[in-house]
Amino acid sequence: MWQRSKPYLLIAPATGAMLLLFVGGLWEGVLQSLGYRPLVGQSRLTLQFYETLLSSADFWRSLGLTLRVSILSTLAGGVLGLMISVCLVMLAGAGPFKHSRFWRHVFQLPLLIPHFVAAYLAVVMMIQTGWIPRLMFALGFLDQPADFPVLVQDRFGWGIVLTYAWKEAPFIAWMLYPVLYRTQEKWWEVARVFGSGRWAYFREILLPLLLPAWMTASFIVFAFTFSAFEVPYLLGVTYPQMLPVWSFEMYTGGDLTKRPAALAVNVLLAGMAVFFGWLAHRTGRRFGLLEGGRWE
Amino acid sequence: MLQLTDIEKQYRSGDPSPDFTLSVPELTVGRGEFFALLGPSGCGKTTLLKVVAGLIPAEGGRVWFDGREWTDLPPEKRGFGMVFQEPLLFPHMTVKENVAFGLKMRGWGKKKRELRAGEWLDSVGLDGLESRLPSELSGGQQQRVSLARAMAIQPRVLLMDEPFSALDPQLREKMRVLLKQLHQEHQMTILFVTHDREEAFYLADRIGILTEGRLLQADRPRNLYEKPSHPEVARFLGLRNVIAGRMEQSRFHSAEIQLPMEGARPGKGWLVLYPECFRLNPSKSDSSTIPFRVTIREVIFRTGYYSIQAEVGNLALNIRERPTLKPPRPGEQRTAFYPVSKLHWIPEEKGGE
Repeated sequence: MWQRSKPYLLIAPATGAMLLLFVGGLWEGVLQSLGYRPLVGQSRLTLQFYETLLSSADFWRSLGLTLRVSILSTLAGGVLGLMISVCLVMLAGAGPFKHSRFWRHVFQLPLLIPHFVAAYLAVVMMIQTGWIPRLMFALGFLDQPADFPVLVQDRFGWGIVLTYAWKEAPFIAWMLYPVLYRTQEKWWEVARVFGSGRWAYFREILLPLLLPAWMTASFIVFAFTFSAFEVPYLLGVTYPQMLPVWSFEMYTGGDLTKRPAALAVNVLLAGMAVFFGWLAHRTGRRFGLLEGGRWE
Repeated sequence: MLQLTDIEKQYRSGDPSPDFTLSVPELTVGRGEFFALLGPSGCGKTTLLKVVAGLIPAEGGRVWFDGREWTDLPPEKRGFGMVFQEPLLFPHMTVKENVAFGLKMRGWGKKKRELRAGEWLDSVGLDGLESRLPSELSGGQQQRVSLARAMAIQPRVLLMDEPFSALDPQLREKMRVLLKQLHQEHQMTILFVTHDREEAFYLADRIGILTEGRLLQADRPRNLYEKPSHPEVARFLGLRNVIAGRMEQSRFHSAEIQLPMEGARPGKGWLVLYPECFRLNPSKSDSSTIPFRVTIREVIFRTGYYSIQAEVGNLALNIRERPTLKPPRPGEQRTAFYPVSKLHWIPEEKGGE
């Protein structure tokens, strides 16, 4: 009896703390977004804040920007990550081990840097008086540093996309690396003998094996960029703001009446993240994109 | 018809002199022929097979197929099939998809290739397992899928690199039978690499013996055994009575024995005595047999015969006797009779040592 219940008892404290903080926080957020605030005498549940949000043009503009930035960041990070993981496997196979280790550290570097530091670096590097414009000016690529395109605090969100791509690509690469590492060099020989060129090998063998891990990693990046706050807060414009920034500013703006709306934005963000996760999984299954995951 | 001429491939580990050189002046595999390359591990068999497949470039020589030179043709354009030592099935594809892979690369439509894959799965005895994944199959079943994948494309030449060496003996035997049957049915040209003598003799129409990168002899199995042209060929085929000596005036001379041998080319060389041709208790002994006075050193019962180690002076002889005989005891002195007609002489200029 003790042996059977021991594992559950051992994880009970951690599970309890997680349930209390995570589920409790979520529950509290949902209740407040429904207008339940007994401290200020409001205990009646209402969908008023959701209705106001969904009928506001600002919300839809922010949602459009949030989706655009998240999708572009995920795509850029995904493609870069795939390229990095292929490079890492090629380096591990071809060169001496120390070189491979050096490049692994280079590609790991962005993982060690916190998001707000990455955003600050992006400002320092890419603002029109930053390092990159000044270096390009010094090398003669620009007539003056101000000719450098506006990539920081631009309306489209390029600065945010580029920062996320740089920051998340190694994460995707390290999710793909073990899968690629397991693919055998001999499969390439087999495929060639049976008539496959490089592209067909990538399409028929490598890609199906990578897709499940790639989709999972990309979805994690999407869910994160969709709801993260630091990078768009530092690199975004004041209008339109990405939804997490908008929510943060409403919550901390000092006007307590806006707090339920701020939490309603968060609940909608969480709900949409779950919906996109379900959609990605369903699409993956529908088109057989997850078949590579059957690999044991 | 597959032809190799003057194939050279060297492997170096730093210094300029090569560690290993593969050198095959000429090798021809006829259409529909089952040719086995037999040799010990590390002799260059797999390298030669990969040169034929186009997976490894040779440093010299040419590869021809049906009169056209294919030396620089990439492997994907040769139309060969290959079965490797490991099954190397693609793990995310079902059994049927694996078998149909080569057909897909050739642009076959889905229905047509699935039909063909199904037929080949039937042929290798795996019908009903089409939708399984490789991880759900046993090692033997995986190698059958690998065989079906190679055969399904009806390759110009089927290359097989020790395909059964990772299987247990019983399964290996079954796979040999299956392969022989498939070859007889479909008359494919097969170049088969193995280090297993029994396997090569069971399967092949002709066998080439490769040691240390050199192709020593290629012939039909019986000729190879009865008329080895190189002492290494004889030794590799399990013949231990290979005696270095000199032929003078129709007599063989070595430090331990002298015996008459008509018609042999004079000069240095090796005499081969077949262990199964010795008789310890012959029904008759006459001028057609040569007596050897031997001391028995060891008697071991093997599958179906006695393997006897004996000595003539300092010369060790290996004798194989039928189990009907009451076995001799170690230390005993006996006379072993050997038929003159079964003496085989390898002159040095032919053997090349």
